[in-house]
Amino acid sequence: MWNLFVSIFINVLLWIYDIIGQNFGVAIILFTILIRIVTWPLNAQQMKGAKAMQDLQNDKEWQAIQKKYAKDREKLAQEQMRLYRERGINPFGSCLPTLIQFPILIALYQSIIRALAATPLDLLKLSQSINPNFLDVANLIPLNSKFLWMNLGQPEPYYILAIIVALTTYIQSKLTLPPATNPNDQSAAMGQSMAITMPLMLGWFALTFPSGLSVYFITSNLLGIVQYAAQGKANWSNLLPKGLRKE
Amino acid sequence: MRKKLFLLTLVLFSALLLSACGGTVRGTTWPGLAADDTTAYLADLSLVYGINLKDGAEAWRFSDPDDNKAQFYATPVLTSDGLIIVGSASGKHILYALNPQDLITNGDFKNPAIEWTFTGAGGAWVAAPLVVENKLFAPNADGNLYVLDLSDGQSQKQPIATIELGGRLWAQPVTDGKRVYVTSLDHRVHAVNLADYTIAWQADLAAAIPGAPALGPDGNLYVGSLASKLERFNPETGAHQSVLDAEYWLWSTPVLDGSTLYFGDLKGNFYSFDAVNSKLNWSIQPDGAITANAILQNDHLLLATESGNLYAIGKDGKTLWFETVGGKIYTTPVVAGDLILVAPLETDFYLAALDSNGRQVWTFPAKK
Repeated sequence: MWNLFVSIFINVLLWIYDIIGQNFGVAIILFTILIRIVTWPLNAQQMKGAKAMQDLQNDKEWQAIQKKYAKDREKLAQEQMRLYRERGINPFGSCLPTLIQFPILIALYQSIIRALAATPLDLLKLSQSINPNFLDVANLIPLNSKFLWMNLGQPEPYYILAIIVALTTYIQSKLTLPPATNPNDQSAAMGQSMAITMPLMLGWFALTFPSGLSVYFITSNLLGIVQYAAQGKANWSNLLPKGLRKE
Repeated sequence: MRKKLFLLTLVLFSALLLSACGGTVRGTTWPGLAADDTTAYLADLSLVYGINLKDGAEAWRFSDPDDNKAQFYATPVLTSDGLIIVGSASGKHILYALNPQDLITNGDFKNPAIEWTFTGAGGAWVAAPLVVENKLFAPNADGNLYVLDLSDGQSQKQPIATIELGGRLWAQPVTDGKRVYVTSLDHRVHAVNLADYTIAWQADLAAAIPGAPALGPDGNLYVGSLASKLERFNPETGAHQSVLDAEYWLWSTPVLDGSTLYFGDLKGNFYSFDAVNSKLNWSIQPDGAITANAILQNDHLLLATESGNLYAIGKDGKTLWFETVGGKIYTTPVVAGDLILVAPLETDFYLAALDSNGRQVWTFPAKK
């Protein structure tokens, strides 16, 4: 099943690579755009879920049960679930779409490694992943792994991509953070933590893994920023230092 | 609760990603294997092992203390003066000549001395080099064929010629005494004159060529490619024609028996081809992709497949016996004396020795 998933990625990636004149970097960018379009409803649901959870944190009834059952965790959980049901909120609504994107990331990583086939085993796996009726891959191999100054099958050695990945991830995280209206707002605290953790983690991935994956990260982040901005949900003031923000 | 979920998600994400990087196989690709009368030589991950054929015990191991990223999977090559030549596919991409007659005790292990190194290559050493008299023809993934003088006494080799062929060179060259023939992933076959290291001819097959060429009994050169075609070359001129359409990509090097060539494809088909009459004798499909070359043994052939089985196949295409070695076999087995050596992936041993009937004699490391 997993191999089938990766195979679909590889075939689509190579098809794009073939029709655009054999530039693997551009193929990854176009493929990322395609992924973003396909997962658009998921992202929209994630934003909607995050907003609903945010609103709930400021709800008076929610705050009341937090106080009332502060020492009874079981009862608190029951009451929270009741409120979720009543308000039609899925507590995992903002998390599941994110989780679903992880397999996409891993499949893309494996697709890039297989497609660039740096070792005999990668080339063999590629042969077992492609549909020869769909693509004449034999003629495409070896793929051109050069893109700008990078070898897409190797980590980028100058840290430039890692910095851009971390920066764009940070900007995207910050833009999507709703303004915290409640000092005890757990989701806002978590969002702040995420805005630091995710850029560091993805920056580390960019240092460690093939630069083709970093091209995906950067493209995906930029598209995410555009998506939020297009929907009028980007919170640009979060990019300013605290003192300069309009509260 | 949400914070915990977030942390769990991060851990899960990292674990999934890292496990995806490691994959399920032991190495980044399949190991290189060679043997002489007493010792098997296995290039696997960060180590090259010398293994006693008698009992499967480790005789020595080699890793470069100055290059902890070095990975070995090119087939080691033995020289007439007893050196083992093997290159690293990552790290500093060094080609080493090891001297197993000069072992240095290092804790619990013995390490062979490094007789010489060549550090001038820019890519991975995937292919085994070819020894022609006192010259070494070493194809590298940087697209160069390096020619080294084995008799110059230098400990830091400098190439006497660097022949720029292009593409990634993954397969051991062959020679007919006049020219050296080299295949490349950039779709081309190259012929290099032995006399002056000039390029005699180059031919484009419109598909990558990961396997080595074979010189046929008719004096022609046979090359399989990812175009799923077996091509016959005139070695003098480079003129070529397709003589067989396989079902899928050809990787393994044809093995010769008189006028017959035997080879497999990545769909698992195994072919017997009459080179003189240019006709297919038969084809069978044992199981699993075939990257390993078949081995000719008197009246039959030995064939290893991705499914982890070793087959003894009669020259009429009938299976005489098969033995499940385990894991996945991509490396060409080696016959050493009475033993058949097999180096599979995805098993808890790196090397298995079988007798001539396919029964296991020992494994390395020994099974607990």
